[in-house]
Amino acid sequence: MNKQEVFDKLNEVFRDVFDDEDITVTENTTASDIEDWDSLEHINLIVAVERSFGIKFTMGETTGLKNVGEMADKILEHLG
Amino acid sequence: MSLVSAPFLAFILLVTLIYYVIPGKVRHIWLLIVSIAFACFGGFYTIFFVALSAVTTYIGGKFAGAGRKPLARNISCIATVVFNLALLCLVKFYGVMDVIAEDLNSFFGMNEFMLYAVPIGMSFYTLQMTGYVLDCRWERISPEKSFIRYLLFATYFPYLTSGPMNTYADLSARLRSVSEVSFSITRLKEGAIRIAWGFLKKLVIAERAATVVNSVYGDHNTYTGVYVLLGVICFAIQLYADFSGCMDVVLGVSHLLGIDLPENFNSPYLARSIREYWQRWHSTLGSWLRDYLFYPLLKTSLFIKIGDKARKAFGKKKGKKVPVYLAMLVLWFAVGYWHGGVWKYIIGSGLLHCFYIVTGMMAEPLFEKIRKPLKADKAYFQVFRVLRTFILVLLGFVFFRSSNVPDAMDMFLAVGRSGGAAFDIQGIINMGMGLPDLIVLISGTALLAAVDIYKFRPDDNEEPKSVLALIDRGGVIAAWAVFVLLVIIVLVFGKYGLGYDSGAFIYARI
Repeated sequence: MNKQEVFDKLNEVFRDVFDDEDITVTENTTASDIEDWDSLEHINLIVAVERSFGIKFTMGETTGLKNVGEMADKILEHLG
Repeated sequence: MSLVSAPFLAFILLVTLIYYVIPGKVRHIWLLIVSIAFACFGGFYTIFFVALSAVTTYIGGKFAGAGRKPLARNISCIATVVFNLALLCLVKFYGVMDVIAEDLNSFFGMNEFMLYAVPIGMSFYTLQMTGYVLDCRWERISPEKSFIRYLLFATYFPYLTSGPMNTYADLSARLRSVSEVSFSITRLKEGAIRIAWGFLKKLVIAERAATVVNSVYGDHNTYTGVYVLLGVICFAIQLYADFSGCMDVVLGVSHLLGIDLPENFNSPYLARSIREYWQRWHSTLGSWLRDYLFYPLLKTSLFIKIGDKARKAFGKKKGKKVPVYLAMLVLWFAVGYWHGGVWKYIIGSGLLHCFYIVTGMMAEPLFEKIRKPLKADKAYFQVFRVLRTFILVLLGFVFFRSSNVPDAMDMFLAVGRSGGAAFDIQGIINMGMGLPDLIVLISGTALLAAVDIYKFRPDDNEEPKSVLALIDRGGVIAAWAVFVLLVIIVLVFGKYGLGYDSGAFIYARI
């Protein structure tokens, strides 16, 4: 899987979790860019991403990711 | 040694002076020595329990870190965390050491073979140290190799009695850079002003508000009706001035040493919702529990399964909230329990707030509909939200301050009870508050409110406006003049001196 494919899939997950078909995430997207992405929705998002890619983030990654770009890098790392 | 006392000021002066005289590379050793000395002032048991937690978490973290067998890592992590939390509960909440001391005394037939008191700051340092072990297990950090460095993180004296709670990554990075800190007049000025402001909050405001609070909460029959409301509001003033004043001293002292600790308060009484309130009040406790309890709980397979089932039963939108509500129940029970292990805290600082937040979330679709007709974006509505949130917080504080839950209920009933003292100026003076005291309390509270309103930014993630920067605009002389003024206010209006024993910080007893 390359980075573009990861982002395509992430877009699907984000649209589903936040119930908003207009979301398109980029490397620099952060929680402040998406209205409903607060500390409560964060875990729902993380779990949905894990399921969609068949991976498991560590707790450190769960709370420590700076933006969607870093999330994509970690996903690629986990996929090996 | 109280943080608001002459001996503590002398201690700080000595610590800071020597800190800047000795070579940078041995500063962390100096900080360790004075931190251990500070813990010793808290009594033999304090240093014993701090050391016990430090040694167990250091070893536990080592074996919980990356590169070892998963089973060993889990066992090490769980055993260390459970041991330390159980120790906290047994010693702090169930007085186990008291019983042991009594048994030993009677066994040896001596009254004073062992005198026991709860170690200072146990609720704070236990969380900070168990956070370190969990960080190792979750690979947020690599275990610290040097025990000396770890011990300094564990015992660093400014935070030890009342927080703020630090993560290992943050504090250890700051402690590592102490060798490069050079003396600066600016830092001295900023630290001094902040410490003086903390003293003012504690000795001028909190101690005066306490007079009213102690009268009203001590006698629900004499003090009824408006007095109860006055007592409840005064406690909110007392607790905030007390705890945030303590934090000003702690952060000011640490700033003198060039080590900036995280802020714990950000204009909390101006919060517009209970959720926002907890991002502004004691926020290092909130982030600790979010990162080490709430998130991990929601990521367990049990909670994920509950989420799946709930989605099927209630639909996607409502269903996904079910595990969040359940995790909140656990989270808020923990927040309340942490404050003292009894129901008045579990309700007042925990479950009541859980109820506010969960019902708020459930009613969100309804709020959504009425926002437009009510013109919710207008200023008046924001003021309403601030007042409503403050009143909800006050209800929780009634439990917090009362001796127990029935006592809190009696306080609520006393609002409507008649036959108490008439509400007039003489009645207030009878509480031990002369007219001058009353004027000082009101002026002090107004100053505190003005500072908080100035600092306030609507977005709680934004850095609050700096009062120090405002003072600096007047130039160096004006800044030092502010410091001198604060000191004079404390000396003239502070409640201290021979025969007066200013109460310990409320959160230092927690």
